[in-house]
Amino acid sequence: MPISSNDELGYKPLDGGWGWMVVVGAHIAIGFAYSMPKALSIFYYDIQEDLECSSSEIALMSSIMLAVMYAGGPVSSWLVLRFGSRPVVILGGLMCGVSMVTASFGSSIIYLYICVGIIGGCGLAFNLNASLNIISKYFLVRRPLANGLAMAGSPVFLCILAPINQYLLDSYGWRGSLLVLGAIMLNCCVAGALMRPVAQAPSSPPEQKVEEQPNNTNSNLKESCLKNISFFDVSFFKDRGFTIYLFGSIMFIFGAYAPFLFLSAYAISQGIDEHSAAYLLSFMGFVDMVVRPGTGLAANSKWIRPRIQYFFSFAVAYSGLCHLLCPLIHSYSFLLVYTFCFAMSFGMVFALIFECLMDLMGPLRFPSAVGMVTIIECFPMLLGPPIAGLLVDITGDYKYLFILCGSVIFTGGVFLLVMNIYNDHMLKKEKNAKDREQNQTNMEDQDHKDIKRTPKAMMEQTEFEVTEDNGTQGELEIAETPN
Amino acid sequence: MLASWKQLIFQILLLLISCRHINTTSPDPTPPPLVPIDSLPRDVRRAAFKGEGQIEKVEVLNPVNLELVCTWTGHQDKESNITGFWRKDGLEIENSHLTVQLENEQYQLQRVFNIVSEENLGNYSCVFESEVKIDFVVAVPQIGEIRDKPIVTYVGDSGMITCKMEDSKPMPNTWKWYKANGTDKEEIFAAAERQRYEIKNNERKTKLLVNNLTMADSGLYYCGAVYTLSTSMGHVELKVITYFEPLKPFIAIVIEVIILVTAILLFERSRSKKNDTEGDMMSDQTNTLSPGENNGLEESSSMRQRKT
Repeated sequence: MPISSNDELGYKPLDGGWGWMVVVGAHIAIGFAYSMPKALSIFYYDIQEDLECSSSEIALMSSIMLAVMYAGGPVSSWLVLRFGSRPVVILGGLMCGVSMVTASFGSSIIYLYICVGIIGGCGLAFNLNASLNIISKYFLVRRPLANGLAMAGSPVFLCILAPINQYLLDSYGWRGSLLVLGAIMLNCCVAGALMRPVAQAPSSPPEQKVEEQPNNTNSNLKESCLKNISFFDVSFFKDRGFTIYLFGSIMFIFGAYAPFLFLSAYAISQGIDEHSAAYLLSFMGFVDMVVRPGTGLAANSKWIRPRIQYFFSFAVAYSGLCHLLCPLIHSYSFLLVYTFCFAMSFGMVFALIFECLMDLMGPLRFPSAVGMVTIIECFPMLLGPPIAGLLVDITGDYKYLFILCGSVIFTGGVFLLVMNIYNDHMLKKEKNAKDREQNQTNMEDQDHKDIKRTPKAMMEQTEFEVTEDNGTQGELEIAETPN
Repeated sequence: MLASWKQLIFQILLLLISCRHINTTSPDPTPPPLVPIDSLPRDVRRAAFKGEGQIEKVEVLNPVNLELVCTWTGHQDKESNITGFWRKDGLEIENSHLTVQLENEQYQLQRVFNIVSEENLGNYSCVFESEVKIDFVVAVPQIGEIRDKPIVTYVGDSGMITCKMEDSKPMPNTWKWYKANGTDKEEIFAAAERQRYEIKNNERKTKLLVNNLTMADSGLYYCGAVYTLSTSMGHVELKVITYFEPLKPFIAIVIEVIILVTAILLFERSRSKKNDTEGDMMSDQTNTLSPGENNGLEESSSMRQRKT
């Protein structure tokens, strides 16, 4: 249920105009963030031969990059809260560029771990986190669509970078390729330049509203802002919705990447030739590219937006179901259908994963929340694929991988669904109790107060309550609302 | 066991004697050992005709008496006698015509070939009635796992080329490296040019390390897996480029980024200047509006539109 950002932010989000350019910037930054660790795998073989290391050692480089990208969330959140998104994304772009350029001179795998893994990962963390944050500042009504479009950057850039990387490798070898990639990643700075900081007090009605409301509201907002500038705000765990979301997404992330990584190996083990197996992955990318904005558009509709948490839990459960059904039939056409469904569910979940968090936490708490969520999600992301791989090694059969991942994800989806129903029920009860209280105090205030308060603000509040009743969830964070 | 030792000593003596005649510009042809043919080991390969274009691969390492057996079930109307003969590399082998009897519902052609030198390797075919053919490719194990894309290295750097014989195939006796010189191959002697070349030989793997690369080092390099009978070759291309090659796109992209960032920031500054001048005008207007119902009505109606 969208929270009244007007009251929280102190201004009306643009929901368009320059916001779309910001979405383009976020698209680029998020695209690089998610696709670069995967796209680097094209260089593995050459780096392995040159630096004489094993394949697991070289794969660790991408894992370190992904892990640091997620673990750097809290630091990134802190920087965004202090300096805004633009400087953070520009810094992230510079760090990525520098990391790739220095990596091109590397002569040992440890050197690559540090350059690409740690410095590169940090840069990507800044990109990802700051992009998500600025979307929450620019959009409210069209936010699901904006999120879907921005997250679509991941498959788009993967599809672009894979052939580019291959071409660079053939022309310049892996060292030259990393050098040129460093330059390409500097385009994140362009993305950062697009992320114009939002004017906190624009010269229009909102300014008047801020004046009209009692001054202590402003200082309340500032105080909560400062409180949120902490790396780890444990008070989030008291929020029921947040905890439910966190568990659900942990279970999803645990099972999400393993089928992705082992898909072509599974296809080859089923007797499919290498070209068709590689084609499966590109097919996945194309479906993902279309599904993410499509999901954003669907989530924006008036039927789904109020029930967006349920939509998310449906998408997670659907994903789990896909994996469970995969090992049943062994034919190429069925594998294509599975890949299509997998890509669709993957895209749906990722288009919604951050939108749901924004929906739950609101634009003020979102920066710290997303930092916390990403650093916690680091662990299932790192543990999932190796455990699945271990299962494959022990049993010698890929179907157990799909059963494991499918069951974990499906359980997560069902958990989300059930707990969201429970949460809504509890929130309704609490809201009813609080409404009764507030009505009493309001009636008392009405007698004392002048008409200093703008009727406009009152109408906004009642307007919002009307739309709330149209939706089914009532998650008004009463603590933050002024009045 | 004793026979193979005797064989080895004979071969070494012969090698020493014919040392003078070895040509360094092409791979050494192993001189034919003057061993009694009967003392060679015997190997049998059978093949039954399955269809057109059937090729059987026969891997040989050392001199061997190779017996090739072809069987064919024949047409519907099986004649009792048909003709059969053998070909080597497409040419008919003299005196190989035979009349084949139908036995146990099939025809069988067999012949023993003495594979003692490189000339004996090739494509052997058994032919029934000039229509049914089975090919036997008799060769030393070929290098399968070899890189088909060129290796890109930089001037002044060192490049490493690897050749590997698969675990499923027999190990070569040794490895040799050649560099292509026009149409010829020149052998690389690491001992002679220790500064430039280094050859590391494992049993299944060989690595050629070329130090201090120059542009002249670009080209095809051949690795040869040496077996008693012959050497099987694989080739890898080495490309040497200067550091300027990747630097060109790098600088181009950096310039593009700088231009775009500057353009965006300048555009933003010009817009904010416009807004400032407009804002001064606007603030006069808004001050005249009463902070009250008019604004509120506008605000709520726009919200209503947004929500639906």
